[in-house]
Amino acid sequence: MMRALRHPSFLVGAVLSALIVALALVSLVWTPADPGRMNILARLRPPSAEFWLGTDQFGRDIASMLMVGARNALTVGLVAVGIGLVLGLALGLLAARADGTILDAAIMRLLDFVFAFPIVLSAILIVTLLGPGLVEAVVAIGLFNVPVFARLARGAALQVMRRDYIRAARLAGAGPARILLRHVVPNIAGLMIVQASVQFAVAILAEASLSYLGLGTQPPAPSWGRMLSDAQTFMARQPFLAIFPGAAIALAVLAFNLLGDGLRDLLDPRLRERGA
Amino acid sequence: MLRFLAARIAMLVAALATAALVIFLVLEILPGDPAAAMLGVSATPETIAALRAELGLDQPAARRFLRWLAGLVTGDLGLSYAYRVPVGGLIGERFGVTLPLAVLAMLLAAGIGIPLGVAAASRANTRLDAVLMGVSQLGLAIPNFWFGLLFVLIFSIGLGWFPSGGFPGWSAGPGPALHALILPALALALPMAAVLARITRSAVIEALGEDYILTARAKGLSRAEALVRHALRNALIPVVTILGLQFSFLLTGTVVVEGVFALPGLGRLLIQAIGGHDLMLIRSLVLMFAGAAMAVNALVDIAYGLLDPRMRPA
Repeated sequence: MMRALRHPSFLVGAVLSALIVALALVSLVWTPADPGRMNILARLRPPSAEFWLGTDQFGRDIASMLMVGARNALTVGLVAVGIGLVLGLALGLLAARADGTILDAAIMRLLDFVFAFPIVLSAILIVTLLGPGLVEAVVAIGLFNVPVFARLARGAALQVMRRDYIRAARLAGAGPARILLRHVVPNIAGLMIVQASVQFAVAILAEASLSYLGLGTQPPAPSWGRMLSDAQTFMARQPFLAIFPGAAIALAVLAFNLLGDGLRDLLDPRLRERGA
Repeated sequence: MLRFLAARIAMLVAALATAALVIFLVLEILPGDPAAAMLGVSATPETIAALRAELGLDQPAARRFLRWLAGLVTGDLGLSYAYRVPVGGLIGERFGVTLPLAVLAMLLAAGIGIPLGVAAASRANTRLDAVLMGVSQLGLAIPNFWFGLLFVLIFSIGLGWFPSGGFPGWSAGPGPALHALILPALALALPMAAVLARITRSAVIEALGEDYILTARAKGLSRAEALVRHALRNALIPVVTILGLQFSFLLTGTVVVEGVFALPGLGRLLIQAIGGHDLMLIRSLVLMFAGAAMAVNALVDIAYGLLDPRMRPA
């Protein structure tokens, strides 16, 4: 615990992530103003006591929209990483269990193929098929996450399965499912959590890109990427419009990247020197 | 060696064919008739049938797929539903924007990221290292399109040094064209440079710890000479790999950044094609983007195999 508090990446990442989560949770019960309320008389206002971060082209309160946008970003991260983690872990363990067989090769080649497809492109295909929307974007980002977790789970599981205590468990009569769930999964959980934090950041970035392109979150739901795309038309008159949502995306991505880096160092001190 | 090369190329071709099939099938299950959509509600069944025949839509899916595959080789990719011109020509036109943009971004990323990584490694665990790695962490977190918007705010709207968007074409000479591409290329390059700086730093630190560096130093080379002549050379192998892997991010980055700067490139064409449900254009563009990423990955694998025989699969 003390070691964690002395680790700068972990500390900064944890504090920033906690802050974003707190803002998102608070937005469920309170925001400075109603984020959906338009007020034409207060369009494109700079930051002030009344509008902390100014207002957009419809007179909506930017601070409130950013808070609700945080909820949006975190939901995307959670669901996309959840899809990737659950499916990836299952496929990775299945491939590790079938190590060296045709099933193993088939799973891994399939995942290589999915992985070779750039994330925004697969999202574009899915969105072309299902129409633009938050759910479609999240599914696309989640599917892209599957190979990342599956490769990691397979490699780590193979390593664990070669250890003596697994052999001992097998000799004691434990079945393959029990060995995987009771012995392998707990041993690779740390690695998966570290990756989950990094993929969380990737998901937030990807959703922001898709929403910027108009393929992700649809109006009137506030999304940081969408706010940036709206800002483009008016930023010559009100530069703050383009600054705050971008800063929110960068801060969230930074927070989860640092958290992932810190967790990796804390869980595996051998990696600490390399820093990449 | 030849066997390795042939196997890797065969794998690439198989992956490309699978990608083509997946893209074709995904777009095939879309509901609706493109011919009817193109002609509008007032079209008679006869004109719709005639257009379906013109577009080849009256033929079975398998035949259309094979025709598209053959077209990918010959360049005859069919007619765009929205533009009513050959898809091949449309893609060719936009290529002149996206390719130079991607190359410029790669050069900028390498030119910024590698020197910063080497500087951080040569001063590892000092304040300079901490600052550089902090900056690179920030570079990783900032989306390329936000970089783009900030550059427009600062350098176009604020200082008036660069155009805020649009592309004058190459006919006016390379000067104005490059001038229009600098800001978008920089927006694409900075997140990549951040990745490269981090990879270069760790690769150089690892190389500096190797025995051959000690030998070189013992033979009288200065630290800087040993760094440049031996450590950097070996460290560049993982750096080039990452540069290759980053290429797919770069390509998808162009889709977003071309939008920010209103550049008439392939990425913007793709977004316009999605907006106009132009399936003919979408399928060829998506395959091109995915194919380019796969081809670069294969090239990296091959280069790796050439440099280090241990990397060749048995």
